[in-house]
Amino acid sequence: MGDTVQASVPVIEFVGVSKAFGENSVYENMNLTVRPGETLTIIGGSGQGKSVCLKMMIGLLRVDAGVVRVAGEDVAGLDGEGLRRVRRRVAYVFQGGALFDSMNVLDNIGYALREHTAMDDIAIRERALACLDLVAMPSDMLDAMPANLSGGQRKRVALARSIAIEPEVILYDEPTTGLDPRNITRIGDMIKKLQKELRVTSVVVTHDMPTARKVSDRVAMLYQRSFPFIGTVEQIWHSELAEVRDFVHGTLRRTSGTGATIVTEAPHGA
Amino acid sequence: MRAISRLGQLVLGGLEWLGGLTGLAVTLIRVGLRRPWGIDDIASQMVHLGVRSLPIALFISVFIGMILAVQFGSALRDFGATMALGDASSLALVRELVPTLLALTVGSKMAAGISAELGSMKVTEQIDAVAALGADPIKKLVWPRVVAATLSQPLLVVMGNVIALLGGMLIGEWVYGVPAGYFYETYIDELAPMDYIQSLTKGTAFGLLVGLIGCYQGFNTKFGTEAVGVSTTETVVAISIWIIIADFFITMMFY
Ligand SMILES: Nc1ncnc2c1ncn2[C@@H]1O[C@H](COP(=O)(O)OP(=O)(O)O)[C@@H](O)[C@H]1O
Ligand SMILES: [Mg+2]
Repeated sequence: MGDTVQASVPVIEFVGVSKAFGENSVYENMNLTVRPGETLTIIGGSGQGKSVCLKMMIGLLRVDAGVVRVAGEDVAGLDGEGLRRVRRRVAYVFQGGALFDSMNVLDNIGYALREHTAMDDIAIRERALACLDLVAMPSDMLDAMPANLSGGQRKRVALARSIAIEPEVILYDEPTTGLDPRNITRIGDMIKKLQKELRVTSVVVTHDMPTARKVSDRVAMLYQRSFPFIGTVEQIWHSELAEVRDFVHGTLRRTSGTGATIVTEAPHGA
Repeated sequence: MRAISRLGQLVLGGLEWLGGLTGLAVTLIRVGLRRPWGIDDIASQMVHLGVRSLPIALFISVFIGMILAVQFGSALRDFGATMALGDASSLALVRELVPTLLALTVGSKMAAGISAELGSMKVTEQIDAVAALGADPIKKLVWPRVVAATLSQPLLVVMGNVIALLGGMLIGEWVYGVPAGYFYETYIDELAPMDYIQSLTKGTAFGLLVGLIGCYQGFNTKFGTEAVGVSTTETVVAISIWIIIADFFITMMFY
């Protein structure tokens, strides 16, 4: 139960996981491993369970069968304190940002610091400013309310909130969805930058293939309730398997309006 | 057959809901009795829920007092007993009408507000975010609201009781010629300590229901923004039903 993650221990590991909501089975006997320091991208159709996968990683949702381990620890066996510990190391960037509407940017970014540390107001303010800087937001944004931020700003503040406690792992749920091309590029660059500068492990859920290609070391494709296709970006990109090819290049074509490079061969009409 | 199976589903659904609500109450006791107490959050919720409900609570109370005085007054006048207006109104107002009508109006409003607020937090993943950032959503969000509602409602009832008395007094003086001082004396005379206790017990119990049901509905909001509307409407219905049921049992308890 040491605090340091050994290179051999996966940061996050799913073994034989099943998860259903009533009749709606989302995962069946699913396996997935996130390696230390890598950026793993999860791709897959809408409503297939990508967010559910991220939520199971930090115990926001419980598995029905199988195990989820974070740094070797079984998440299901953790009590409130244990979960808090996991959530301090593994940060979650929610799809719409999930900023607290009732709090300004400073209090949003400081939220986890107040929960996890004994930092005083001045230290929290300083850290919040540093985090805003990391996500390329001006310091006068500290007092802004989330309602007055644009979509891109929200995502960046949400990212700042998640990195404030200096996590070892960051989970991104569709970080570029709904953004304009400029912000898409920016968020992609930030993910890369955090990975390089803070040496975090990242799991990125996305529909956005150019971003996936830019940030990923490996890509896992969610297909029929598990991850049958996992490989390096290049392997997935040039896969001969019809399911993978259709998804990767079909999605690329569909999202090409948002600034993606247009792929010439476009298999079957979507 | 169809009707029976639908009835069965309804009963099962109701039992499941009740089980969920009870579960929330049990969890709440567990997390609530641990430090920190969340006094700041409770205070701000009391302002939000209680103080902001004050004007409407006072408005409703003065009318309850006046309406009851008119009704009793016209009945008493037939017997030439209008001077008994104070004695006649006090018990009905303090034991029943003020706590119950305030719960059904102001209490419903509070519960709907809680449920809409938490429901939109649920659908925008803010509740998940509270947990992901290392806090306990039950402690952070449910606890202060339930405590604030449970404290605010009886306080509103206390004020409502005073204001309803004034409403009755006004009608007594203006419509039936009962001197205000006399109305007041006979009104207060009629009330025993147990009547005040009953009034406050109802206020407290109804406040607890308001907080619990509002939070439970908010936390169990399904996907999509229209789901917030659905769960809020359900909250108002559930509040009406459970206030009346609780009212019956508390009344029996004091009988
Ligand atoms: N808390 C929940 N309760 C019930 N069903 C859920 C819940 N979360 C997700 N689902 C269902 O699980 C499936 C996968 O959802 P999700 O992971 O959000 O998909 P996506 O891949 O688009 O992120 C969907 O059918 C969704 O309706
Ligand atoms: Mg999703």
